[in-house]
Amino acid sequence: MGGKVSCTLGEVKQRADFIVYWGGNPAECHPRHFTKYTLMQKSKFLPRGRKDRTMVLVDIRETKSAKASDIFLQVRPGKDFELITILRALIKDQNVSDEAIADTGLTREVLDDLVQRMKSAKFGCMFFGMGLSMTRGKHMNSAALLTLAAEMNAFTKFVAMPMRGHGNVTGADVMMRWQTGYPFGITFNRGYPRYNPGEFSTVDVLVRGDCDAAFIIGADPGGTMPQPAIDHLKRIPTIVLDPHVTHTSKLARVHITTAPQGIAAPGTAYRMDEVPLPLKPPLKSPYPTDEYVVRRINEAIMAKPFWLPDGSQPQMLTAQV
Amino acid sequence: MSLQVIDNATCTFCGCVCDDIQLHYDETRIHKANKACVLGTAWFLNHTVEHKYPDALIDGKKASLDDAIELAATLLHEADMPLVYGMSNTTCEAQKECAALADQLGGLLDSHTSL
Ligand code: SF4
Repeated sequence: MGGKVSCTLGEVKQRADFIVYWGGNPAECHPRHFTKYTLMQKSKFLPRGRKDRTMVLVDIRETKSAKASDIFLQVRPGKDFELITILRALIKDQNVSDEAIADTGLTREVLDDLVQRMKSAKFGCMFFGMGLSMTRGKHMNSAALLTLAAEMNAFTKFVAMPMRGHGNVTGADVMMRWQTGYPFGITFNRGYPRYNPGEFSTVDVLVRGDCDAAFIIGADPGGTMPQPAIDHLKRIPTIVLDPHVTHTSKLARVHITTAPQGIAAPGTAYRMDEVPLPLKPPLKSPYPTDEYVVRRINEAIMAKPFWLPDGSQPQMLTAQV
Repeated sequence: MSLQVIDNATCTFCGCVCDDIQLHYDETRIHKANKACVLGTAWFLNHTVEHKYPDALIDGKKASLDDAIELAATLLHEADMPLVYGMSNTTCEAQKECAALADQLGGLLDSHTSL
């Protein structure tokens, strides 16, 4: 997600007096988010801690996080994009029809109040979860919210940040951006990286039955993906690397047990605000690390002829002249 | 027996990646994870160094690590359009190796983000 207006959680902790959680349930999914960063901490700029901060929760149902919020906005399911677009219009004093507002399940008073609070905040931060980015509209929703955050900067400091899920998904994004220029959904089939979610993203590739082998590491699609995708994983040779024998391992040709990251495997993990943190594993595992196993597989493949028809490696431009 | 202690250990269970956890551990398991939340505590305490699973499985049968690596390399090399997917619960160092793998195979590379 290049071009997003964001910041680190440290800045949120020190400065953010207006917090929005959109389509996320931090109370249950990121239990220490409130206490460590967004709500409870006191700082030089917010000496009274929780009392100096306003928290708004936008979600389709009243989750446990609603208890921690000052304002809870219950948006009609699938209407997030419309609501964000309305807010984008309202902050610029553009006309919005009553029907359009009623369609989102909210009222004009509530939205006017919200816009007023957003504009009078000193530092606003919007966190968005899977309830926004994985429902109708998907990444268009995230893009709309990021645009809203960017546009709010005409009035006051505003940022947005995705609430990333388990493990090191943020690290995967960052690492792929660094290595290929794109965050996910990449193919190397022309010898250089190309990006097209929908065409090269895993669910689509599997459901269409495009790929003829799968290497799965640190994930369990056998437990989460739609059935046609799982069926395709059963048809093709699948290789799984995981600390546990997972659903996917059971339908795979090859499973290799590896050491769990942060507990027995050392390395680096990225926090949701893209701050890299070193892992401090206390235990020694009887299993090898992911890094070691993937490197060994890489070396074994390197010993075989390259996939170009004549088996030669692609040459650098300088080598060709 | 007295337990060893690590200060400021990092929890990778959720995106918060809290780096202030105090772990009390011995050779086999972690006994206490101070400051971690319920999810983090469960994550740390559930892992032990026991040899719970076989090193590797090929077609559901126990196999050696070397055989599994060799077969994995062969299967991926034979494929025309291999997919490298996942990378959530692993380190950046391993993720970098995965990018190299997809690059060298001329395959697909994708993470959990695209779901
Ligand atoms: S301690 Fe809790 S909040 Fe912190 S990273 Fe672990 S699971 Fe997340």
